[in-house]
Amino acid sequence: MIPLLFGITFITFSLTKALPGDPVYSIVGERSSPEIIEKIRREIGADKSMFRQYAGYISLLLQGELGRSYYTNRKVADDVGLKFPNTLLLAFAAMVIAVPIGVLLGFIAALHKGRAADRIITMLSVFSISMPVFWSGLLLMLLFSLRLKVLPPSGTGGLQYLVLPAITLSLPALATLIRITRITVLDVIDMQFIRTARAKGLTERAINAIHIMKNALIPVITVIGLEFGSYLNGAVLTETIFGWDGIGRYAMEGIIKRDYPVIMGCLLVGTIIFVIMNLIVDIIYHYADPRVRVHGTDR
Amino acid sequence: MSGLANRAETRRIVLTISFILVLSLAACTSNDRIAGYIHYRINYNPTTLDPALIVDVTGGLIAAKIFNGLVRLNEKLEVMPDLAESWSLSPDATTYTFYLRKDARFSNGRSLSAADVKYSFERILDPGGKSPHTWILDKISGAREFMNGKSDEVSGIRVSGPYTIQLVLERPFSPFLNLLTMTAAYVVPKEDVRKWGDDFGTHPVGSGPFCLTQWKHNNHLLLARNADYFGGIAKNMGIRYRIIPEDLTAITEFELGNLDVISVPASEYRRIKNTVAYENLVASIEGINTYYLGFNCSRPPFDNIRARRAVSSAIDRKRILETFYEGRGRLAHGPIPDILRRWEAPAPPDYDPVTAKKLIDAAGLKGKKIQFYITADPEVVDIAEIVQFYLQSAGLSVTIKQLEWSSYKAAINNGEADMFWISWWADYPDPENFLFPLFHSSNHGPSGNRTRYTNKSVDDLIEAGQKSADMKKRDHYYLLAERAIVEDMPWVFFWHKTDITVRQAALRNYRLYPIYSMDKGLEVSF
Repeated sequence: MIPLLFGITFITFSLTKALPGDPVYSIVGERSSPEIIEKIRREIGADKSMFRQYAGYISLLLQGELGRSYYTNRKVADDVGLKFPNTLLLAFAAMVIAVPIGVLLGFIAALHKGRAADRIITMLSVFSISMPVFWSGLLLMLLFSLRLKVLPPSGTGGLQYLVLPAITLSLPALATLIRITRITVLDVIDMQFIRTARAKGLTERAINAIHIMKNALIPVITVIGLEFGSYLNGAVLTETIFGWDGIGRYAMEGIIKRDYPVIMGCLLVGTIIFVIMNLIVDIIYHYADPRVRVHGTDR
Repeated sequence: MSGLANRAETRRIVLTISFILVLSLAACTSNDRIAGYIHYRINYNPTTLDPALIVDVTGGLIAAKIFNGLVRLNEKLEVMPDLAESWSLSPDATTYTFYLRKDARFSNGRSLSAADVKYSFERILDPGGKSPHTWILDKISGAREFMNGKSDEVSGIRVSGPYTIQLVLERPFSPFLNLLTMTAAYVVPKEDVRKWGDDFGTHPVGSGPFCLTQWKHNNHLLLARNADYFGGIAKNMGIRYRIIPEDLTAITEFELGNLDVISVPASEYRRIKNTVAYENLVASIEGINTYYLGFNCSRPPFDNIRARRAVSSAIDRKRILETFYEGRGRLAHGPIPDILRRWEAPAPPDYDPVTAKKLIDAAGLKGKKIQFYITADPEVVDIAEIVQFYLQSAGLSVTIKQLEWSSYKAAINNGEADMFWISWWADYPDPENFLFPLFHSSNHGPSGNRTRYTNKSVDDLIEAGQKSADMKKRDHYYLLAERAIVEDMPWVFFWHKTDITVRQAALRNYRLYPIYSMDKGLEVSF
């Protein structure tokens, strides 16, 4: 993991520096002399060679620091620490909505393949995957906030603020989960061991719950892991529409202003989260699928 | 039987829980306000509230509520007392003596004195500091030596009594008092700056009518009224600035009554203007700004005045303003906004497609590829496409290059664009603010003159105006400078944008100000 992280810092550093634009012009505002621009450039270390800048960044990281924002002067680590729990909450809530509904609908669609239920569910999934979140988000806001007046349109805080962004964010994952579950269940349904189970006289419910579901779970877990990992890196549009104070908005503001410490901090934390998520998925595989156990004893 | 009863009971419990949940959610929505507080919307999290470092309007308008300068602007855009009760100017127009009021206190309880003014001004000029606003105070004698580390203090800032301070300028500079109304000239307490260090920007302490009590980044800022404010206590309990980046979300919050005033976004202007409920609640003010299309005057093809005239004649600015822009501005006749001009407006060429075509042929521009740089702002993209259409009709080949703000600014500062779209908003209400930074040849690039316009006689006129203490003479120099600029046409002068807001009916004494620093927030109430 350590070499991976070093690789990541190197790639993110190079990519960030390769971006067009100059943060100094945004820091100094609309009117400033070339001397001040040079002074600020020295202040933020932009006058040094790339190698020295990178070495400086690594030494900062080794001290457990992510640096300070060029604009707000606030510590990036502190801000990430404040915003990450919000992002985690939003991502978790979105998955709580998407996973049970998505898996259940996908399962129902597969069991009713070609029939009305399947068609309706497939249509629903196509609809929710094709709807951009800035549109679905605004529609939900119009309905629940402006017309029904039951949920606040924006802000970060308690449960009532969480509902609309969580539903909005869950829609694409919901659609993906419906499709993946449907396909994998259809694959499993025709397999030899299902017919064997039926021949053994097991009830349909037992077959569905134990044999089909368990075997169809592997790709579903992969999707859940990836979607959750990407949500943890922030959902810029959803967070912007609903004024949710998460990592996505923070990173986006950093990118727009070329606030390098913020961009690098977010990328680094995001990568670590992604790596950890993959690790967790691998561990879950281990329990869900005996074939991926490396040190299996029963073979 | 018992199974049925259980099921009915379960259903009842579920229904009750759902009902309570919905009710509690609904209750939360309608209570999304703090009683007695005015609720405003801001688009972005302010970067900092340290007056030395603020470069954004959002930061400036909040800092105006927390801090005070020596002087400020009144509603007629005249300089009026703030921390300074009165002041005098020496006959040679270089020495300003300010007499401070004795009842001003920082919100930490300490009395504010002349030494604080000296500290705050030297902090801006400090060679070890990060303030980009040195240009506001570098006219004071000894400032340059101090900025270069050659002296320990600025010799021209003299504390001559606990409540008297003199500012000695190197040479007369007529807009100087105007400069002192700006955010960077606000007075800060040394002990709090030392205490917080780099974090003073998030823990600001000033002497203004409000104190920052909470800043939940990217969420909201709470300002509570300062009961000890020398200018009297605010008529509201405080101000809540909610950070809402998305326009449609802000409109929804406003329509739910969670915001008291919002700027009307262009996309909603027509709907709100035509909504009966808002009939008397929509207000507008003529902004002190100029929107323009700038030419790169330092290289072909726009180093040629005929090429610039051709483009200017080819665009029907009036029509764009009236149709696409829905009349949300006044047509510009030159760089200086009409409000600040005390002389007859110049007359740039009218829309004349026939002359434009002739000029394009004469300048050998036909079919020439022109790079037109713009930002990613959707409104700007639309305007750029309209301009592109007009210029293509006149025989020019225009490519729109859309860049995100930071790259765009770097590109136009470095002179990469042939033409670009931008606006200039007043820092202070003086014609000089629309001449010196934008057209003086010492300010090419990031200092403001992005067209790289150079005209020695315009330089001389602007400088003469800066040095002249006589208002009439100044106006005459500025009139001549503006005429010469309109003649040379380094810009196509588009319009001065009007600010439009809509407020809730319950809000009283709300008024719009043309410059953000003018609003101290004292009068507005319910």
